[in-house]
Amino acid sequence: MKNKISIFILIPVLLSAFMQMKMRLFETPANWPKPQYDFSKNPLTEEKIELGRALFYDPILSKNNTISCASCHSQYTAFTHVDHALSHGIEDRIGTRNSPALMNLAWQKIFMWDGAINHLDVQALGPISNHLEMDEKIENVVAKLQSSKIYPQLFLEAFGDSVITGQHTLKAISQFMLTLVSKDSKYDSVMRKQAAFSSQETNGYKLFQKNCGNCHKEPLFTNGEFENNGLTVDTLLNDYGRVSISKDPNDSLKFKVPTLRNVEFSMPYMHDGRFKKLKQVLDHYTDGVQTSKTLSPHLQQQIKLTSNEKVDLIAFMLTLTDKKFLFDQNYSYPKHILLSSRKK
Amino acid sequence: MGSHFLPAQVKKMDTLVFQPMFGDSTLVLSTYSYKLNDKDSIQFDVLKFYISGIEFLNKGKPVWKEENSFHLIDASQEKTMSVILKRSSSIICDQIKFNIGIDSTINVSGAMGGDLDPTKGMYWTWQSGYINFKLEGISNVCKSKNQEFQYHVGGYESPFNAFQTVTLDCKRSNKIEIDIKELLSGIDLSKQDHIMSPSAEAVVLAQKISKTFSVQAQ
Ligand code: HEC
Ligand code: HEC
Repeated sequence: MKNKISIFILIPVLLSAFMQMKMRLFETPANWPKPQYDFSKNPLTEEKIELGRALFYDPILSKNNTISCASCHSQYTAFTHVDHALSHGIEDRIGTRNSPALMNLAWQKIFMWDGAINHLDVQALGPISNHLEMDEKIENVVAKLQSSKIYPQLFLEAFGDSVITGQHTLKAISQFMLTLVSKDSKYDSVMRKQAAFSSQETNGYKLFQKNCGNCHKEPLFTNGEFENNGLTVDTLLNDYGRVSISKDPNDSLKFKVPTLRNVEFSMPYMHDGRFKKLKQVLDHYTDGVQTSKTLSPHLQQQIKLTSNEKVDLIAFMLTLTDKKFLFDQNYSYPKHILLSSRKK
Repeated sequence: MGSHFLPAQVKKMDTLVFQPMFGDSTLVLSTYSYKLNDKDSIQFDVLKFYISGIEFLNKGKPVWKEENSFHLIDASQEKTMSVILKRSSSIICDQIKFNIGIDSTINVSGAMGGDLDPTKGMYWTWQSGYINFKLEGISNVCKSKNQEFQYHVGGYESPFNAFQTVTLDCKRSNKIEIDIKELLSGIDLSKQDHIMSPSAEAVVLAQKISKTFSVQAQ
């Protein structure tokens, strides 16, 4: 009798604990669209996420073991490269593009400024083998992981197999990146009716919806499309964006619309990091837009903003800062794994 | 090919052998130099390609299809050239059908395992997608640095879809040859020493590749 009762109590307790664990791993916030990532092909588990986190922070992924993913994607700047217009990679070689902020990647269907990468799982292959970034081969990465002290055990715990493969390595890195969800900014609290905008922010929000919202679409603050927002071509870099992948002239000068979440910290801005301040971005949209064949229809009409309106618009953009995301311990350097490995 | 049509009851044909050739001789990597003509020669360092979707047909109808059919054939590893088919009973068939390369669905499905694992060196890193066919080597005809040539043929999106399907008549044989000499007869090595990304040229080359496969009667 006593046993029966305890089982009856235990089942709901266990169930809810299980549900909570599931909830913590990944959750689609209310009123957000369905994620693009197919979780059924790579179901999240604590072990895999932790393994992916270790890999993300471990310079073992680069040729001379000096550069990790986090070197160019640092948490405190929303996983972009601190203060570098063009990312610096191995031996300080300078890349050709600004590293984008990483967040809400589960909702993204195509990656890189020009959409060169078609799936989050294969994203990491780019930087690992890019001569300017980590300059390593996935074959060698797998061999190094296999002969390390910690990874065979971590892969065993995560995938039930201590034989390390490229597939498992990549899927683990994806798992960690999928958990990088930013959804707790002031803007989100206002939408959930748990907070209110100041009058300045309210005005900024209206201006945003009118002038920017078509491309930087709520709630992700990107429509996921490639657009030409009227930047002039940098004649040193000669980067024409999407066309280099699609080879379709209609895609000339189009770049992936970046999210504006945490934009306060993701400077410098644009694919080549040409702007340091949000004010400069707004000056571009009001006065700097270059007309060309592929300029987005949303920018055909000049955007007009007074200097006060620009201040308001920036005040609104700052409500997209998500402190919880920027300081979430679950996303930070995994000392408990990587430092223990240094111990002989 | 296909001149003598022999409907064959294939009994114990549970292995397919993909044999790279250079004309009449079997192709050996690196150590051998082959003659292109009286004065020009060629040497091969890499030959790797994907065979997928293996299927047997009888009178145009599929009679057996391999599940999860993806095989990386690598001329540097002899065991990869034999594909073992898990078939329980004998079948009657007159044709074999397979693809050269990886279809578009797999190409957009993220990281794969087994022969499709990105560590196999058949996945582009800077732009997503599988390399369907890789041929590398050197020839005095090439005007490139070190006289090298490199063909990495792939691409899964139109208009640069390089995926090819081949259908061959069975000839009581399990040996499928691919003749690199025939392939090279359609390429001007002095003008085109590399193809490294999805493009119109890659599609043309993919079509040529598909025509160099043949079943050899034993
Ligand atoms: C040397 C700096 C550098 C390193 C190291 C680096 N990245 Fe990046 N990352 C970039 C740059 C630059 C881009 C944008 C490139 C482009 O668009 O062509 C980028 C883009 C991305 C994107 C696409 C984001 C989007 O919104 O499209 C993801 C995801 C990403 N990196 C993850 C990683 C992972 C995982 C690693 C480690 C395996 C890594 N990065 C290592 C600089 C770096
Ligand atoms: C036509 C679509 C479009 C409209 C309208 C638009 N943007 Fe953008 N925005 C883009 C694209 C595309 C980029 C990236 C361009 C690039 O780097 O080449 C971008 C980049 C940005 C960036 C840089 C983000 C980063 O992380 O680098 C900011 C900030 C920004 N836009 C703010 C705004 C504001 C504010 C408005 C309204 C005044 C606005 N945008 C209107 C398409 C648009």
